[in-house]
Amino acid sequence: MEAKTGLERMYEYTGRLQAVIGMLEQAPPEQQNPVLIGLMRLILEADEKTIDCALNGKPFVSGWYGNAPEIYTSMGIHFINPVFAILVHMYLTDLYDVKEADKISLPDDVCSLIRFSAYAVQERLLPRPTAIIAMLQPCDAELMLHQSYQSSEHWGGVPTFALDPAYGNTDEDFRYFTGELKRMITFLEELTGKKFDVNKLREVVEETNRQYEAWAEYNELRRVVPCPGGSFQGSAACWPLTQHIPSGDPRSTQLIKMMVADAEQRVKAGKGFVENERIRILWADLAPQWADLISPWLAEEWGANVVMDFQGYTPYTPIDTSTEDTMLFGLARRALSEVPMIRQGRGTVETMIEDMTRIIRDYSIDCVIFPGHMGHKDQAGSIHFMREVCRSLNVPLLCLTTSLFDERYTPLDKVKQQISEFFTVTGLGNK
Amino acid sequence: MNTKITSVLDVFKQAANTLSNPEVQEWKRQGGKVVGYFYSYIPEEIATAAGLLPFKIRGTGSPGAQLADKYFSQNVCSFVRDTFELALKGELGFLDGVVTTNSCDHLRRIYDNWLTIENNPCFHFVHLPKKRGKEQTDLYYRELLQFKKSIEENFGVQITDDKLGDAIKLINEKRRLQREIYELKKKGNPPLTGAETLAIMVAGTAMPVTRYNQLLQELIAELGMSEDRKAPIARLMLVGGELDNPELIEILESQGGLVVTDALWYGTKAIWNNVAETGDPLSALASYYLEDRPVCPRLFGTFSERFKYVKKMAEDYKADGIISVRLLLCDQWGFEQDDLAGFLKEEKIPYLRLETEYALGTTGQLKTRVQAFLETLREV
Ligand code: SF4
Ligand code: SF4
Repeated sequence: MEAKTGLERMYEYTGRLQAVIGMLEQAPPEQQNPVLIGLMRLILEADEKTIDCALNGKPFVSGWYGNAPEIYTSMGIHFINPVFAILVHMYLTDLYDVKEADKISLPDDVCSLIRFSAYAVQERLLPRPTAIIAMLQPCDAELMLHQSYQSSEHWGGVPTFALDPAYGNTDEDFRYFTGELKRMITFLEELTGKKFDVNKLREVVEETNRQYEAWAEYNELRRVVPCPGGSFQGSAACWPLTQHIPSGDPRSTQLIKMMVADAEQRVKAGKGFVENERIRILWADLAPQWADLISPWLAEEWGANVVMDFQGYTPYTPIDTSTEDTMLFGLARRALSEVPMIRQGRGTVETMIEDMTRIIRDYSIDCVIFPGHMGHKDQAGSIHFMREVCRSLNVPLLCLTTSLFDERYTPLDKVKQQISEFFTVTGLGNK
Repeated sequence: MNTKITSVLDVFKQAANTLSNPEVQEWKRQGGKVVGYFYSYIPEEIATAAGLLPFKIRGTGSPGAQLADKYFSQNVCSFVRDTFELALKGELGFLDGVVTTNSCDHLRRIYDNWLTIENNPCFHFVHLPKKRGKEQTDLYYRELLQFKKSIEENFGVQITDDKLGDAIKLINEKRRLQREIYELKKKGNPPLTGAETLAIMVAGTAMPVTRYNQLLQELIAELGMSEDRKAPIARLMLVGGELDNPELIEILESQGGLVVTDALWYGTKAIWNNVAETGDPLSALASYYLEDRPVCPRLFGTFSERFKYVKKMAEDYKADGIISVRLLLCDQWGFEQDDLAGFLKEEKIPYLRLETEYALGTTGQLKTRVQAFLETLREV
């Protein structure tokens, strides 16, 4: 039997997405979610581009969150993230891949997101890319995952460039990473024959600046009581729009602006997303894949709303587009200190403490839920700081143990039960 | 074994099985200062050049992690939890300073947490690059320069190039002697067990180097003359990270096999070559620690080099099989064990992967698995 090329799966993905988009579009107008439809269309387009690259020998790279995708896009190089499709299709396939990934031989205490990615490459669910841009932050598992591609039959020997992150947040640290980005550009130019063009990068960065500005505006609106958006809304859409879809697409900006407009309308009307919002939660980590399974329950059962999470709270600084150096420096800063998952995970604990403190104050937070994602070994060493922040601001904290990407790790009923007990014991349930 | 060997080995075993051992106590009694450090990227040469005693921190003898639980959840590896427990209990109080690093996600939070405790000894954090390359060696050089300054400021000393050069020579001599120990293990009936070897190696990170070198020289001379031990039923190689517990190897060896070599940081990886003794000493240290010596999984892109090292050691020491040990929850070794399995399968080298907690609890399962492995080796 011939070995799989990865395209088999890509066709399956595009077929499914087309069907889902069709269904979403047929819903009655008042039930339609134009942001979701728009996002799905962009994902479909990206998948089709992957197929085109693989079939026609066009260069494409495998990347990861936070490795400055603006640069590839400006060079006309398509990119994929090996785990993204698994996340998108997880609940469209009754957790098929989640269960299949159990069969790989990596220990099950390694982050589930990383396991899915290793599984996707081992099982040839993606075509072989022209190059791999390895991400070594924020966690050990990322570094090891990218290294282990080399031992896979499917991706072994793919030319690889790894971006070495600095540990601190000083200008010197950002300059070091700027150097890494420059070396990545040289690597891509030599490998693909594509030329880096500073004007094209400027176009892309100007657009992503607009995206991040709109995202910040949306976040600002979520501070209003009652919150105009539902639990995890915003973070769930804005992350893929900025990290997975080819960067600098004005259509992505448009979708974020639609979210802003919707939130503005609700604020003007004094209408919260959750009826009778009583409990405002900070979810101190990424949004879980199972967000849609607990958000309605939180709203209906408790009048509770996750108004902010670490995936959404990424206070972006506009990038100065005046020169190549200012742009690369801005991209380095963004990559090291502003991308979700990396912002609070890389480096010492200060950023997390500052973020928690600011969010609790700015978003009128009533309580903090720390999901205790099994992959986050650094956060598992930050619980003392979380407690201290919550104690000093007089906000109760619930520490759970879950997998953000695999609902089976701690069954949802148990999660709900723990949250219910917490609301009851703290009196928040009677607010 | 003659009494001379036994008494020198006892000194090493005691140093490995305790933290503040008599050698450290004697050093302190004479007014010496001790600097603790974690893992293998903090050059002991710099503290030595400052006239300090570098001490590699372990969680040896930790009673569990009851106090550390407040700082580290169960999602953190037991080495970190157990070691931090000792810090909280004051068992590391003999350290006059501690330098930490971002060696892994678990370990890097020790620094943040320790800083919150009154009178903590932490005075410096070394940022380690995560891949190899010229720019990374330059970065690491700058980090070492900062570390050197930090020692000078904190301990009121000056580290001249001459002092650093002398420290490099002294520690190179230690490595050379340790390699002699390993040379003896190439014999068909090695004079030392794997557990004894590990005790010797751990002691080398926990006592003054001049005294250590002297004892090691005596031991080597005596071992050369000692009568042969019985040949083991299987020659084993041990692969892992910073395993520091001789008792673990005793358990593995209790089934009749003998650990004749390893790829461990308290083993061959830390000593297999020397720091250059010419040129700028700090540059020599940066090159050695990042580029020249055997490498660990956290340095990206060193994949095939690591596996080649394992294979070469196995060949040179005529190992019948390889055992790797990982502490539960360790991501670096989770991948490394897995990738190594694929490599060794292709190389047709028998391989057993084990997982354990830092403090050994019940050991029955480990023994059973090793016994089964030895049986498969006999069939090969
Ligand atoms: S979710 Fe956390 S542990 Fe998993 S890959 Fe991202 S940073 Fe690493
Ligand atoms: S055993 Fe692994 S997880 Fe634990 S401290 Fe060492 S490298 Fe880190």
